[in-house]
This record gives sequence, structure tokens and C-alpha cells, in this order.
Amino acid sequence: MSRIYMPQDPLQQTYDAVVVGSGATGGWAAKQLAEAGLKVALLEAGRAVSPTEFTEHTPAYQLKYRDHSPEIVRTRPIQKQCYACMEYNYEWFVNDLDNPYSTPPDKPFTWQRLRVLGGRSLVWGRQSYRLSDSDFKAASLDGYGDDWPISYADLAPFYDIVEKYVGITGAAEGNEMLPDGQFLPPMKMSCGEVLLRERVKAKFARTVTIGRAAVLTQSHNGRAACHYCGPCERGCRTFSYFSSPFTTVADAQNSGNCTLITNAVVSHVNMDNASNKATGVTHVDRLTRQVKEVRAKSVILCAQAMESTRILLNSSTREYPTGLANSSGALGHYLMDHVVGGGASGQLREMKVRPDANQPQRPNGIYIPRFRNTPSSKKHSQFIRGYGYQGEGGPEFNFAAEGYGASFKGAVKEGAYGIGLGAFGESLARWDNYIEIDSNLKDAWGIPALRIVMTHGDNEAALMDDAAAQAAEMLEAAGAKDIKMQVRVEMPGMAIHELGTARMGNDPKKSVLNAFNQTHDVKNLFVMDGASFVSSACQNPTLTMMAVTVRACSHVIDRFRKSEI
Amino acid sequence: MKRRDLIRAGVLTGAVAALRPPLARAQIAAPPSELTPAQSGVDASKDLAAPGWKPLFHDEHQNETLIVLSELIIPATDTPGAKEALVNRYIDLVLAADTHENQRAFLNSLGYLDGESIRRYKAAFRYLSREDQDDLLHALAYPIGGSEWTGAAPPADVGHTHFEKLKQRIGIAYYNSQIGTRELGWDGNFTHGVYQGCEHPEGNHK
Repeated sequence: MSRIYMPQDPLQQTYDAVVVGSGATGGWAAKQLAEAGLKVALLEAGRAVSPTEFTEHTPAYQLKYRDHSPEIVRTRPIQKQCYACMEYNYEWFVNDLDNPYSTPPDKPFTWQRLRVLGGRSLVWGRQSYRLSDSDFKAASLDGYGDDWPISYADLAPFYDIVEKYVGITGAAEGNEMLPDGQFLPPMKMSCGEVLLRERVKAKFARTVTIGRAAVLTQSHNGRAACHYCGPCERGCRTFSYFSSPFTTVADAQNSGNCTLITNAVVSHVNMDNASNKATGVTHVDRLTRQVKEVRAKSVILCAQAMESTRILLNSSTREYPTGLANSSGALGHYLMDHVVGGGASGQLREMKVRPDANQPQRPNGIYIPRFRNTPSSKKHSQFIRGYGYQGEGGPEFNFAAEGYGASFKGAVKEGAYGIGLGAFGESLARWDNYIEIDSNLKDAWGIPALRIVMTHGDNEAALMDDAAAQAAEMLEAAGAKDIKMQVRVEMPGMAIHELGTARMGNDPKKSVLNAFNQTHDVKNLFVMDGASFVSSACQNPTLTMMAVTVRACSHVIDRFRKSEI
Repeated sequence: MKRRDLIRAGVLTGAVAALRPPLARAQIAAPPSELTPAQSGVDASKDLAAPGWKPLFHDEHQNETLIVLSELIIPATDTPGAKEALVNRYIDLVLAADTHENQRAFLNSLGYLDGESIRRYKAAFRYLSREDQDDLLHALAYPIGGSEWTGAAPPADVGHTHFEKLKQRIGIAYYNSQIGTRELGWDGNFTHGVYQGCEHPEGNHK
């Protein structure tokens, strides 16, 4: 391990590690390695970000189109499908014209992404749930697919580390499918949500809990508590939700051991074929289009599941003709994204609370952990695995009020007390869902682009059917009226939980990474992001991605200390 | 318009002064070309009120029709209505930048209103008496049900569909305006304390 800090041209030195990507996982990798004394280059494809560009306190009427801009769609027709891509912040999202990908005509996939320091951690939904031991051992329990090479017990200490640093608000429930963690005080539930919790517990013995979110309910690690203004996806001037630029990346930089290189669009990993070692990465400067190289003793990809795999696919050599570290042939396969589109909503007419524009806005909802195919429930006849719900209940202005005129105006303000649940279902890992390089398509920097081939299958559709009916039944139990079900299977990508394509496993013939995110084929090459997931479970994945990264980094640090890298 | 739109409207959001200096170190501000106007601090709220305003998309008749229609749908009461909120100007601005498909759809709906008006009253909508305007709008404002005598399904409800499309555009324009946020009661502050939630004893929620 080099301990001498050399203030010179960042491209003229050899780092201990080059980390590609500065989002939720890349930030953690940079922090862990740099704080352990490794010399780290952190590469980000986009620009730096500043709190001066946060817009969470800008009212819509100050925007030209009051946040209904018809112009965004010209440069961001795909990104606009993301709820968080808005007139306020669309420049954080990639320009779709510069960043193309292809799909078969009958298999649409929406790939929503940011290229700016911090990546999607700037706009993420912040929901943070542990996977359960049943999730890591899912294949053993129902016979489908493969187990993870790690158990819950292996990851639990790293969940602790991440939660203690990030700050996760939540309530302990002792639920078998949703392990409790290191929580800051929970946010409160609305009356309608408490009613749902009480009645669902009484009738179904299921858990309705307050969302577990990476939002501070008290000051924590130098960041202030949430001020409940509402729209976190536009930035937070008190840094109360977790995003990497103002936490992990800042820590890495403060260590004195991390060099941040922005506007570095990485095209491929460089290899020394004689020693079978990675020697660094090549990148294209986003602004000047100059091709540059960063040399390092280890390469750590944290670029987002499909971007990391794209880099490996674009790094083929004579020894690895189908993509670097792809002796298994599994690279690119087993792409997953949680299935969404099933749920229900209704109205709680017994609630007398009226909507109020001057109420604190809770940036969090409620959560119902998976209750299907659990160790304590019988096997379902129609599907394997399960789903969890996110939801919310409270008074809302009734913009859909009928009629017109003064009575309409009054009815809007009178409002209604709505309550709704939307499911996130497990996406089964299937060989047939994959990414590959589209030989006819390049991005604006000349880097070959991806062809994405993914559909949700019969099991995912059956999950959403059941999720809609169960949501309606639970809302009915809470006394909701005007219940409407959503029974859809939205296109893959819509959950923005892309996982897999460089899966972990103990068998090098069937997996790309070992249990420490190290490629089986190239010992100083690592993939530390959602690409490593073996199965998707149904919980929002970012917390697990971060914990897996911290665990893998401990291994890298160990290897450096033993001079094995 | 759902809650998310309302949050976007800024109605549910608020401002607090920066509570502490930024944590970020060595973060360089982005070039203006890579910031949205909002991220650059542009305030466009007065643009539509500029003197000498002329429509970009609508002709004069369409513009005048939209002023009349929007004020009927969201009238001035003890608070200002759609006309004062310049709903027509906002819709014109959006449509000028919108897709041909959306432009055509809006003009179809506005044209339908005039078509029905001429068919029934021999005059374009904006020239009708207030009473006739109300009669026509009432004929369009509510959905048509099936037969209660035979159980036959309702006919295709073309008029109501056009009405709803116009009303939705007008609603978004009004409730996202500064006047609209005041109508909903927003006090102009971005923070209102900590979310309190339910404080009732079990089984006694209201």
C-alpha cells in the first residue's frame, strides 16, 4: 500500500484503486478505501454538483412551465418517465440523445439515470430495507435459481455500519422478512395509516410500518434533521437525506487520499495480459473528448449495474473475447428490476381532516413487508417469492372534483382523505433477461452502447395480480370506499432497481464475482454495485448494495495489507 | 392532478434558510449551460404578465374563448379566478412548445365546444349569453350513464371527454400559478415544523 501522497498530475500516477462511479456504492468504496490509507482515484462521468443548484424551495410558479415543461421530452424522452425528472432538475439526468441504448421492439425497457457527481443518490427514493436470510437462501427454500454466496449473518455487521453512518429513520417490528436495523427515531404515521395498521394487524396478522428511509429525524454525523419541506429529489440544503457527494465522497476527499476526477466517461478496463491483471481504466473526457488513462493496482466498478457490465463487455481481449472476466458466459445475464404496477387506492371518508397547504411534508410513506411464501406462511399456489408495498394515506386536495365553477373550486379545497398501496415484487433472475453490446450503436463519446433484452414473466404478473387484490382487501378492512385496483405489469426499468448482470457465486463456471465482489477471472478487478445481486428479493436494494460494497472493501483492504494486490 | 403534482407545484413545499454552511468541499459550480433555469435561479413568475403580451400559439378567437371558458370553470369568488391568474397565457405558452399531437388534441376540444355552441345556439361559445354558456357546459360537465330502463350501455361520451381535457389543462394552469397556490391557502413558507402524524388513542382516529 502506498502511503506517500504525491500532488502531481492525477493521470501520471498509479493509484492503489480506481473507483468508477460516485453514487451510493462508489462513494462508499472511495470513503472506505481512502480512509484505510489506500490512494484512490474516484472517476465520475458527469460534472461536480453544488448545493447552490438545489431547488427544493423554489415554487413551481417561478418556473417557465410551472413544472409541466413540454420541452424536457425533446432531449430526455426516456428520463421523463422517471417521476423525479422534472423541469427543476432535468439537467441532472442524462441526455437520451447522447446516451442511447436499444431494445427489441416488443420488449421496451426504461433506463433512468443521472451522470453527475452522486448519480442517482441525488434523487433516489431513500427507502432503505434489509434483505432477510430467507432472501439470501431463496433458492434453497423454493428450488428456483441460486442462493447468494453470503448469508444474512455475513452482511448484518455491514448493514450496521452503513445504517449508523447514513442515518435511517424507521421502527423495529421484529418481522421475519424484514430484519430491524440501527434506526433513528421513526417518522409518525397519519391517522389513516394508523387505522390501516391496526385493522390489517387484527384481520390479517400482517405488519404495516412506517417507511424506513435515509432521511434524518435528528441531527446526525454533522447533518441537520429533516425540515419537512417535501421534494427531496430537488436537493436538500440541510443535507438531511443521504446523497453521496455531501457524505461519503466528501469524507473520501477529506482523507487526503482520494483524487476526484469528474467528466471521466470510462470506456473500458485496461489489462496486462501476461500477468492477467487489470492495470487501470481508459476514459473519454466528457467535454474535450480526449482519451485518457488512469493507472491503478486495482479496478473497482461502481458505475450502476448495467453500466459496470457494459464496461466489462467493452473490455474484451483475446483472452476474454466475450467480455472481461466472462469465462463463465454469465456476464450480462440475469438482469432484474422489481416488478411494479399492482396495488389499490381508496378513500377513508370517516376521516374528518382537511387538506392544508401549510402542513409539514413527510418525505416518507408506509411499508408492508412481504407476507407471501414466508417461512411461517404456506406456499402460494400461483407464484413463488413475494412483494412488499409502499403506500401513503392522508388528506389531499381534490383536483379531480366533478363539475365546474364555484362549486368545483370549493370541492378542490374540501379535498378527500386518500389511501393507497403500490407493490414492488421480486423479479426472478432469468438467463433470458440480459444485456449485450449493440454493435451498431455508440454513445456521444464513441463508446459502444447496450442492447437491453428484458421482460417480466408469468411469475411477476401473478405477483401483481395478487398484490392488487390483497391491497384492495386490506384497504377494505380499513374502511376505505371507492376502492380502485391497479393491475398492471409496468415495463422493466420502471422500478429503477436494476440488478444483476455480473452475479456473485461460489462456482466460477456459473457466476462472474465471488462472495467479495472480486471477479473470478481477474483478481484485482471488482464490481461493487447492484450488478452483483444473485436474486432481487422485493426490498428496495440501495441499502444492501451499500452494505455489500463496504463488506467487499474490507476484503480489498485486507488484501492490500497482506500485499496480495 | 395528484399529490405529486401539488408537491411539484410548490404548494406543499417550503423554504428554510440554509441551516449550516454546505458540507461539500471543493465542489465546483456547474457551467450555466448544464443547469436548468430553476437551478440557475431564474424566476419566470412575472413573464406572462409582461405588457404587450401576444399569444404564441392561439389565434385571437381561440385566446378569447379560452379566457371565457377558464373563468367559467374557475371563476373569481372571494378569491381571484382563472382570468386573473392568466391561465390562457400559460396554456398558450405550454402548447406553443408542445407536440403536434397535443396541440391538435387541445384545438379539437376547443373546436368541439364552439361546434356544439353553433349547433345548439347558432353562435360561437364566447358570444353566448351567460345562461346559454352554463346550459352548454352543464350538458358536457357530467358523464352520461347507461339506460336505467333497459340496462343498455351509455353512448360514447365525446362531449364530456373534451370537457374533461379542457378542464384538466385549466386546472393545472390555475393551481400551479401564484394565485392558485394562494387559493389553496399556502402561506408562502417552506417549512411548517416537524410532521406530527396521528396523536389519537388506538381505535379512535378521525
